[in-house]
Amino acid sequence: MLSRSAQGLYWIGRYLERAQHGCRLLTDQFETLKDRSVEEIELSWRRLYAAVHRVPLGGGLGSNLGDDQFMLADAFTLAHDLTFESNNPDAIRSCLGTARENARQVRNTINDELWACLNVPFLEMRDVGIEDIWKDRPGEFYLRTEKAIETFSGIADSTMYRDERWHFLQLGRFVERTQLLAALIDAQLASFPSGEQPYSSDWLSLLRIFGARGAYGRLFSLEIRPALVIDFLVTDPLLSRSVRFGLEMILKALDVISGGRPLAVEAGRRAGRMASSIDYDWPNYDLEDEDTTRTVLQEIRQSCLLLHHDIRAAYFDYEIEDIPRL
Amino acid sequence: MNQGTVDEGRKGSGRCGLFADYHTDPAFFDEMFDPDGVPRAHCTELWSALKDTAPGDMTQMQERAERSFLHEGITFSVYGEESAQERIIPIDIIPRLVSAEDWDFLERGLRQRLKALNRFLSDIYGAGRILADGVVPVDLVRGCPQYRVEMRGVEVPFGTYVSVCGTDIVRTRDGFMVLEDNLRVPSGVSYMLANRQAVKTSLRDLFRRHRVRSIEHYGALLRQTLAELAPPGVSNPTIVLLTPGVYNSAFYEHMFLAQEMGVELVQGSDLLVHNGFVHMRTTDGPRRVDVIYRRIDDDFMDPLAFRPDSQLGTPGLFHAYRLGNVAMANAPGTGVADDKSVYAYVPDIVRYYLSEEPLLANVETHLCRDPKGLEYTLDNLDRLVVKMVGESGGYGMLVGPHATPAERAAYAEEIRKDPANFISQPTLDLSCAPCLSDDGAAPRHVDLRPFVLHSRETRLVPGAFCRVALKPGSLVVNSSQGGGGKDLWVLSS
Repeated sequence: MLSRSAQGLYWIGRYLERAQHGCRLLTDQFETLKDRSVEEIELSWRRLYAAVHRVPLGGGLGSNLGDDQFMLADAFTLAHDLTFESNNPDAIRSCLGTARENARQVRNTINDELWACLNVPFLEMRDVGIEDIWKDRPGEFYLRTEKAIETFSGIADSTMYRDERWHFLQLGRFVERTQLLAALIDAQLASFPSGEQPYSSDWLSLLRIFGARGAYGRLFSLEIRPALVIDFLVTDPLLSRSVRFGLEMILKALDVISGGRPLAVEAGRRAGRMASSIDYDWPNYDLEDEDTTRTVLQEIRQSCLLLHHDIRAAYFDYEIEDIPRL
Repeated sequence: MNQGTVDEGRKGSGRCGLFADYHTDPAFFDEMFDPDGVPRAHCTELWSALKDTAPGDMTQMQERAERSFLHEGITFSVYGEESAQERIIPIDIIPRLVSAEDWDFLERGLRQRLKALNRFLSDIYGAGRILADGVVPVDLVRGCPQYRVEMRGVEVPFGTYVSVCGTDIVRTRDGFMVLEDNLRVPSGVSYMLANRQAVKTSLRDLFRRHRVRSIEHYGALLRQTLAELAPPGVSNPTIVLLTPGVYNSAFYEHMFLAQEMGVELVQGSDLLVHNGFVHMRTTDGPRRVDVIYRRIDDDFMDPLAFRPDSQLGTPGLFHAYRLGNVAMANAPGTGVADDKSVYAYVPDIVRYYLSEEPLLANVETHLCRDPKGLEYTLDNLDRLVVKMVGESGGYGMLVGPHATPAERAAYAEEIRKDPANFISQPTLDLSCAPCLSDDGAAPRHVDLRPFVLHSRETRLVPGAFCRVALKPGSLVVNSSQGGGGKDLWVLSS
């Protein structure tokens, strides 16, 4: 297929995943705001900002501990920053807008249903601001947006022909997901200096963001054990939001797309190495010595970036050296 | 203005229900009612069904159709507008009916005209007989900015310079007339198809009862037309549609047609020319392209051949074309034949090549490059429409009767500075068709743009993009100037 179309689909996948991740983080944050102490809320914002690699507008995060009024004002500003701020390319609305713009450019490669379920939420969100969603329960807004993105994925899943188009969409989606999840777990570890016990509610919320609360309870116990949580979120091959699952999906997509072409081999190799590093080198998590864990997580994030470059070089911006002669 | 209202007393009068306030104006042909206000024979059924429909229901249908246009992204962009980058072309839900006889006449006229225009292009880029014979002035053709000297002596398949043509036709009290030929990159066919889809959905039963001729195979005909242009020896040609990109006003249409034909939608940067062949960049490496349906102007398609500052084109494309390694529709240089000055000669062109009388009339046109024409134009500015030769889409034009004396004086100044750049025509009495307004149906001016395809043979679907001037009394139907669209039903005989 046309490289630019493939690239467009790949970016639709990435941006929708990013928007959805943002929705999940903020849904959880608004849960937190309901009944938790200001210290916990603050920590939770810190984790959130660290996970998306952003510094709030105007500098560092709150120093108004103990003042509920300030905390709520902060929440308003911070949620705006992550949702509607037009200068923030990773804000949810920006992501949805970019995904939609990519889709508009490659619209002939997706069906009309799929286009409409991206276009309609975009048009709905275009003229909405934080004030509008604040009046109504803000959490609902994020749930609704997430559902709209899920609808897109669902319709894609049930209507798209499984050719390259589908696999490039998947590739973008899971490269983004893997990177975001690794960053989030890393941020969770970084938010709590070594030795300091985080609130168990933070681990619970992490499980919720990963959609893993139920599975964890069934597989292990209702008691939250951080080491187990991290292990589960990184390595479980059956959890659709685990790092390992994401890598599996990347490998599958690359396998179909590459068709054994020499240029494409590097991406497959790299993804394979990442998967093996989890299968074979993943340390037993130790609360006292989490440096190794963090290093592995950071390597995964870094590798995702390199993987992105591999994909670009193999399929989108390759050097033209040999043109086949007909 | 003398308003002849539909006579309520007469038997069969059309003035009731939805049409209760419908006032025909004897100065204009009405598509639905005869001068006595009685529905024309082919419109009776539509009239009788619509008259009993509540205006509210019609409005609702119309709003629903427009909402679906917005959701499906059936939009266009208006240049120079900051806000509302993507706008829909409003639809009027009441279809315009064309009888089988009228269509038959239009079709024959369109085929004749396109045949003659293709012959004309072959001639002026080849032997130049028509110029030598003095039928069309040499300097008019060679001096036209759209004349591409680079095209001299290029062989085009089947002598097809124009493969896709979108002729603007108006109906006046004197019959059908061609307003413009649009031989470069005509657009609007996607709106023809979208309007059909919307109206067919809204007025399902009526549509079925009318035995409307189908237009849905346009994409297939276009594909076939393009495939026939492929270079010799290529049996299963790779066709692409070349678009200037998402910021072009007709981008939706480019996307839509690529989808309809199942071909790749490419931008200039997706193509590269190597050893005289055109390739596109795919995930499997470069792939050879055989036919390009080009929706980008001559000027911008190749910075090496035409405008060097173009960011939209592909370097070397024209070279590959000249070598015959890639086919292009339409061929570069067709703009000379739809130049507003050359337009005045089209009836002579038809007579010259086909030895037939033209079926479709031209609008009386005064060329300001002729001293007589200039004088006439300046003397009658308050009655004429003056157009700039190089502009299209209703830009840069003066509608004399609607302009203020100051505007006319300023425009006259412009004409005097560069007379050759202007032509004038009488204000046309564009026909009216019923459109939904706040007070039920009301007459609005309409035109139509059918799309004619040509390669090995001439093909067209029985339909057209019907444009409507939505403002009461307005004669300007251009989408960029507040025009809308209508579905056009060509009836079976």
